[in-house]
Amino acid sequence: MDAIELLSDYENYLREKKDQGKKIIAFMGHDNIPEELLDAAGFIPLRMIFAGNDDLMNASNDYLPPSTCSFAQSCIGLFSLKPSQYNFLNSIDQFIVSNHCVSDICTSEIITKYFNIPRLNFYVSYTQGPEALKYFKLELLDLKQQLEKLTGREIKKQDIIESIRKYNSFKKKLSEIYNLDISGSEKLKTLQKAILYGPVILPELEDFIQAKSVNQTQESKNSVDIFFTGCSIFIGDYLIDLIEESGGNIKYFDTWIGEAYFSQVFKDEVITSNDDPLDFFVQRFKDNKNGDHTVPNYFENKVAQIKEIIKEHEEKKGKKLGVINHIIKFCDHINIFQSFLKKELQEEGIQVLNLERDYSRANRGQLSTRIEAFMEMM
Amino acid sequence: MSVFTDDVINFTSVLKMAYNFLSGREYLKKQKFRERKKLISVVLPFSDLSFAAGAVPVFPIRMESFNINQYLVALNSATSILGWGLTTKLLGFIKQFDALKIFDNILDDVLKSINVKYNEMYDLGVESGISSDFCYGIKSLYGMHVSKGKNVDANMNLAIRCSAFNKYYESLRKLVPRQIWIDIPSRNIGNALELLTDNITNAISDLEEITGNHVADNSLNKQFRIGNQVKRYYKTIIYEISAEDFYPCNPATFAEILSLLGISFQDYNSNAQRYLENIANLVKEMRERIRKGIGMDVSKMPRILLTPVFGGWEPETQEYLYEHGARTLYADWEILGLLEEIPVSKGTNPVEEYARYLLNATTEGIGCDNNTLTDSYQRIAKKMNVDGIIFNQLFGCHSISNCYPMLREKVRKKLEIPITSINFNKIGENVEQIKTRLGAYMEIVKPI
Repeated sequence: MDAIELLSDYENYLREKKDQGKKIIAFMGHDNIPEELLDAAGFIPLRMIFAGNDDLMNASNDYLPPSTCSFAQSCIGLFSLKPSQYNFLNSIDQFIVSNHCVSDICTSEIITKYFNIPRLNFYVSYTQGPEALKYFKLELLDLKQQLEKLTGREIKKQDIIESIRKYNSFKKKLSEIYNLDISGSEKLKTLQKAILYGPVILPELEDFIQAKSVNQTQESKNSVDIFFTGCSIFIGDYLIDLIEESGGNIKYFDTWIGEAYFSQVFKDEVITSNDDPLDFFVQRFKDNKNGDHTVPNYFENKVAQIKEIIKEHEEKKGKKLGVINHIIKFCDHINIFQSFLKKELQEEGIQVLNLERDYSRANRGQLSTRIEAFMEMM
Repeated sequence: MSVFTDDVINFTSVLKMAYNFLSGREYLKKQKFRERKKLISVVLPFSDLSFAAGAVPVFPIRMESFNINQYLVALNSATSILGWGLTTKLLGFIKQFDALKIFDNILDDVLKSINVKYNEMYDLGVESGISSDFCYGIKSLYGMHVSKGKNVDANMNLAIRCSAFNKYYESLRKLVPRQIWIDIPSRNIGNALELLTDNITNAISDLEEITGNHVADNSLNKQFRIGNQVKRYYKTIIYEISAEDFYPCNPATFAEILSLLGISFQDYNSNAQRYLENIANLVKEMRERIRKGIGMDVSKMPRILLTPVFGGWEPETQEYLYEHGARTLYADWEILGLLEEIPVSKGTNPVEEYARYLLNATTEGIGCDNNTLTDSYQRIAKKMNVDGIIFNQLFGCHSISNCYPMLREKVRKKLEIPITSINFNKIGENVEQIKTRLGAYMEIVKPI
């Protein structure tokens, strides 16, 4: 299924839900938004996980300077140009202004202000110490109240637990797919679709796993195994094709659309405890040590995590794993550490490609050349 | 030659402040090795806790040696013998016969050397791994820590709305392993104030551990009192003196003084008491000069607010605006809510008051979004009654610079004064383009 087909189906799905009286809350798709809470309140969470292009980026220049993250620019472009395949964005009822990064704040704020979408606030602490966690809880409480005000009904503890269970099963299923012996592009497309739809797609995922276990596709022995970190590959991006055309196969997606998303599951004993479910989200935030939002240990944790995965992979598969660090132009969090990450990993003999790019078409050739050169080096 | 030079030669307080800024390296060496004080790197005006802990806050560029050091040593020797007042008078007297313009050159070099050093630090930041896509402030600050970070005992990091800045703080860990963090909540909800108070208490504990000193409420209040007085004088300059029809110097010099205040306010030139005396004298001298008619009639010159400049800006802008008949004003710290006083009356909890100050600056000044931030720009521009705004769009700034389109819309609708933006990446890099833009802008600024 290509991106256009996916978006078209998704539009039909949302229309159906809207007809049933459901409301949609959109947000920039980062890893600290408690979508279970939105679900428990009866809303459909819509993650902005769509790749951009020249037109979308250019359309944002009335609102933000060109030296803004290309993903953020493209998100604004989607609302400004309203491309037909994104018609479903017109059905958004609320948009969450959050602070994964400052471009998240600015972009979300612009979308709410200039495209007349009511705004919800949800700010996330940068540190993860005891006070930061307490503040995170305050924000959760506030978000809960904002949602309750919208629906006019209380979000019951049991509703939140149910949503958590639902998302837990969903994420565990994604984890199973992630571990299948299938190509990186197949994994990515499944993840993108799943994260866009949410747990409603669970039966389809089960069928997919079933089909794949019966009919395993053999991956090429000659492909270069890749650990993909940094910024996500969003829906409609051609990057995965370039990597595979160059002989690479992404084995690990260490991004929002990838492990950073589905690894955030709750243990059963946590869910069955009698605690306030908002505390589960707090704990999840605390455990999210590798999330790029946090300071001051993100970089240290990230390097350690990558080294460990690579060591395990090499031991298990007897094959080298190269790292592609995907940097969307002007992304603060990933950009600032790019040279340090490369240096640290190269010191361990790990090959790293810092792939910095925006969404312009003109970049494609250059990206392809760089990826090919990296694959040859691997 | 900088226009600053001609005027400043008779301005004791300005000379002192410039000297204290530039001679930081020697002063800090003494503090570190002779007085056994701990140096804490601070960026943005967050030095109060370090002072209260008996440490020495330092804005890191001040650890550098500046090219004109030999002149400063000579100047320092003269002041040791004659005192500041006499030295200044002597300088003024000699200047009348200074055919070689030696003194002009000295002070011109002083100003240039700050800019040259900033650019040097910028280059060092990029060479050391910071992508050129980041703002001038982050690149040069990183360079400053590469260059002299080894001399400091800790970094004071206040997590703010700018994610690049928070990540920059994190990146400093390799250079300065000891970090003191204060995470300021984005919004004042629930018991956010209490949480921030706890954060500050933890930061104070860190400082106590580093310095070996106990930080008593009295030490905090004493420091806040000094800070409050400094802020009062600072506001007097921004709101009262800058609004006068007669300036104590030419407007370009006045802008230079404001820019010097802006930079030095971050660490009070590492000595809060001395800084207070200097700024008090500055206000006194300014008033005296106005009273005596020394200075310049500026009643016909429109007042232009140039902002934000704390992350870097083109210093030639103010001279260019002066040449085109305008006066340039800087008020970043006031706009961001950092010139608010901290209550020190009996019965107050100083840690909580400091928390309230930071939280107010975050929620009302800097703002957790651009709506609040643009309101702050608008509010202060109105309060200062300026005739126009020039917004300095810093390349790579994703926090403050991003608000320009929103600010432009608000200013045009509500303040009805001309507003424009100029782009800045590095000092000296974009001067001609800036001049073209300012030339066009000055055409529409109403002459008074």
